[in-house]
Amino acid sequence: MALLSPRREVGEFKKRYKWMALAVLATFFLFVGRAVELQVVEYAKWARNADDNVTRTLHLPATRGVVRDTASRVIADNRSSYRVFITPQMVDPQKGVRRIAELMELTDDEQETLRQKIAKVPESRRSHQIEMFSDITRDQVAALETHALELPGVDVIATPVRTYPYGALGAHAVGYVNEVSADDIKAKGNTYHAGDRIGRTGLEKAWEPYLRGTDGIHRVFVDARGRRQDRPEVDPDAHEMHRDPVPGHDVTLSLDMELMRAVETAFRGQPSGSAVVVETRTGRVRALYSKPAYDPNEMSGRLSADGFKALSDNAFRPLIDKTMFETYFPGSTFKVVTALAALQEGLVNPADRIDCPGYYEIGNRRFRCSHMHGEVDMHKAIVQSCNVYFWKIAEKVGIDKINEYARELGFGEPSGIGVNSEAAGFLASRKWYEENYGSRFLVGYTLNTAIGQGNTRVTLLQLALAYAALGNGGQLFVPELVERVSGPDGAVVQEFEPRVRRKLTIAPEHLQYVRDSLVGVVNDPSGTAFEARIEGGVRVAGKTGTAQVSYRRPKPGEDPRKSEYFNRDHAWFAGLAPADNPEIAFVVLVEHGGGGGKYAAPVAMQIVEQYLGGRAAPNTQGAVLSRTQEP
Amino acid sequence: MALVRDARDQFDWTLFVTVAALSVIGVVNLYSATSVEGGTRSDIYIQQIYWLTLGAGVAVLVAAIDYRHYERLGWVAYGGGLVLLVLVFLLGRGIRGSTRWISIGGSSLQPSELMKIGLIIALAKYLHHDPKTGGRTLKDLIVPGLIAAVPMGLVLLQPDLGTAVMLAFIFASIMVLTQLKARSLLALVVLFAVSAPITWEYLLHDYQRDRILTFMDPHADLLDTGWHSHQSLVAIGSGGFWGKGFMQGSQSQHRFLPDQHTDFPFSVWAEEQGLAGVLLLLSLYFFLILWGIKIASQAKDRFGAVVAVGVSAMIFWHTTVNIGMVTGMLPVVGVTLPLFSYGGSSVLATMMGIGLLMNVSMRRFHY
Repeated sequence: MALLSPRREVGEFKKRYKWMALAVLATFFLFVGRAVELQVVEYAKWARNADDNVTRTLHLPATRGVVRDTASRVIADNRSSYRVFITPQMVDPQKGVRRIAELMELTDDEQETLRQKIAKVPESRRSHQIEMFSDITRDQVAALETHALELPGVDVIATPVRTYPYGALGAHAVGYVNEVSADDIKAKGNTYHAGDRIGRTGLEKAWEPYLRGTDGIHRVFVDARGRRQDRPEVDPDAHEMHRDPVPGHDVTLSLDMELMRAVETAFRGQPSGSAVVVETRTGRVRALYSKPAYDPNEMSGRLSADGFKALSDNAFRPLIDKTMFETYFPGSTFKVVTALAALQEGLVNPADRIDCPGYYEIGNRRFRCSHMHGEVDMHKAIVQSCNVYFWKIAEKVGIDKINEYARELGFGEPSGIGVNSEAAGFLASRKWYEENYGSRFLVGYTLNTAIGQGNTRVTLLQLALAYAALGNGGQLFVPELVERVSGPDGAVVQEFEPRVRRKLTIAPEHLQYVRDSLVGVVNDPSGTAFEARIEGGVRVAGKTGTAQVSYRRPKPGEDPRKSEYFNRDHAWFAGLAPADNPEIAFVVLVEHGGGGGKYAAPVAMQIVEQYLGGRAAPNTQGAVLSRTQEP
Repeated sequence: MALVRDARDQFDWTLFVTVAALSVIGVVNLYSATSVEGGTRSDIYIQQIYWLTLGAGVAVLVAAIDYRHYERLGWVAYGGGLVLLVLVFLLGRGIRGSTRWISIGGSSLQPSELMKIGLIIALAKYLHHDPKTGGRTLKDLIVPGLIAAVPMGLVLLQPDLGTAVMLAFIFASIMVLTQLKARSLLALVVLFAVSAPITWEYLLHDYQRDRILTFMDPHADLLDTGWHSHQSLVAIGSGGFWGKGFMQGSQSQHRFLPDQHTDFPFSVWAEEQGLAGVLLLLSLYFFLILWGIKIASQAKDRFGAVVAVGVSAMIFWHTTVNIGMVTGMLPVVGVTLPLFSYGGSSVLATMMGIGLLMNVSMRRFHY
């Protein structure tokens, strides 16, 4: 048997053995390094991953606080709704999804959408429950519950859903909630979880921390197939296993939903406008009405993209809060400010008469008045809204003095109501005009400012608060929307007292003078709002206003009626009632309504009648006068 | 008597102890890895003990007969392996879209595992008789290349990419031991660059492509292919320094690891024994491989040297590819971890290899 003969060249590979051994050693250290990386350096990350694998955290949503009006009528509440949560890692993208679709009777498209939605869930959250459907029908609930055993990773959970019994009424003030986005969660430092609802606008947003409550949690141990396990390898002490949810606080508003209904009724026939009612002696806001509005029930649920586009494209701007976010030229309602500035500065004797020929000439420019008023004193000028009178005294007072008193009355800065984005409005000073309108300041700017045009912009809320100060003898209040906050058990946690923002420097007798003139606007047969007075009802004081709008060029092919409408003036009426001892200050704006006396004042009167009807002294004086007037 | 005394004196205790340690640890780990499965799988560790016992017997047999006899029978071993590979197509049964096993009695055999030993012996025989000692050109690679290519082709047809790659790596390792000219090496690199896209396009199955793609971006599709890799990292990483303790791995005990008794036993070990256990295990494996190279370097002839290097390469590549895979450094391919993974054929092939190492080691004192 010829076995192998030894060869001389067995040493031929010597050098290469060394290289091989080196390569093997290098691999060994590579693996050691990798093991150290995984098990020491990245230990925390993987340990968390492992815990996530075997624990499933169920979020027990807290019941959101209820919002009520001043008479405890429910404005925002919760009802039960069934939501479907899916744990992506436990659901087969083909078979599982098909089964879910069968049970829920989804269309093929819906099924595909669900499949993609599950596929898109990021790695880190695949072992979490993710909301896939909300507000499913009773039949769907029944089908899924019956087949729960064959669908691990699919959970039907009853959760409270926000409902707004008043629908669109008060929507801008109350706001709405909807599901948090990934960005929200990041912005809020992970205090929210996917599927949570968050207040988006209005009170729901501003009072989110109170309303929200604290979610509870319930953790269970599961294996890779989602089956619950009794013997956890995870230290239960290291994880909180159960925490009950804590319901949110209830919030009681100063709004009066009956009054809001009345406002709504009064606005019937007007496509677009806004109204604010505040209590003169407390600054409590009784009505915040912006028309048109959206239904917060829809916004809180699943508003389709088309639905949202329809809202944002709507020419009447239903998404805009016209009570405090939008600003307007105050028009003649602002003459009150000019009058008070003139009186307080002692520059004008209110009894002095000025002749109104129907126009006012400065240089070669002619400013038109509504008509020829003849000889007017301040009272008559307010009652009949004579521009010439105010132009003349404005020249004496000057633009900056007018603005100074406007600012004192709360214009030009946010009122501090604390909900929504509140506009500051704008008061254009002499300096501003010089900087923005060429170097030379023109007297015309002052004249425009005196009658609430030019560049003076206000919100309805500011105007209402200024009139309230006029009505209460000089206290400018911080508007109060929330009266109190109470805990889930009903106990009052916090009660909000009226807050005075400032005591006006204007002497009470001047305020009284202007207020008396406002009574004339409604109750004097020559007054601009005389036609709108409440006969035999509440006596009202107020001021009409007609604010010019910037010219809107008609779009090609547009209905000429539409162009005509949007170029019509805004109609204002701001006032106090009852006139002799005002309880409320109110402002009504009918967008593109036309003349304030004709279009805004009747709306305001309806609101006042609804609110004070029967309670206040009858308007005998106005009634008598009106009877003598009518044929 | 002389033979027994010789055997006792020349017996490679280092090799024996290392292999025995790995086997015992492997069985213990399998016990933990399969305990939760219950029913059919709970006795897997028992079966592994049977296989190891059988394997040990085979190893003793392989070691006992002077390896120079194997040189004579080299082509027989090689041809036998090929016949078994062909039989797979005739008698084989498929698991998960791949036909790799043939049934013998009550158990199944995976011929491709045994083929590795056949290939090593065949290459050793060829090189032993190849008088060339200087640098090899591409032409010199043709015959050994064909020797490797035939079984590789058959294995790829099954299809079993993992084993085919193993055969290729073993072949390459042996060829590196003999000298290659720089020019030849360059040519091989070019050949690889050309053939890779063709392989990708025509030879790889969808699931194999998926695995490689998953390796490139493990987070792309966690639910399907990347899931295995990710869960393995979770298990290993969460083991920490000291591990979670025997039978205490939350990932392995709750079946988050796929195929944990065949492809992922290392992850089970790493989770339950931590970095400490991993260092021990890696040390054992790589010591075994280095020891194999040492045995090769002391071999008295070229055949023994090539056999020892081939077996070391087999263990090295299996270990490296498997651990590389479960630690997320390489794509997921079904390559077993020697003595750790459950599987009769794998154990038998490994034990035959160990027997060959022992053989070469013991006969270094001859002549």
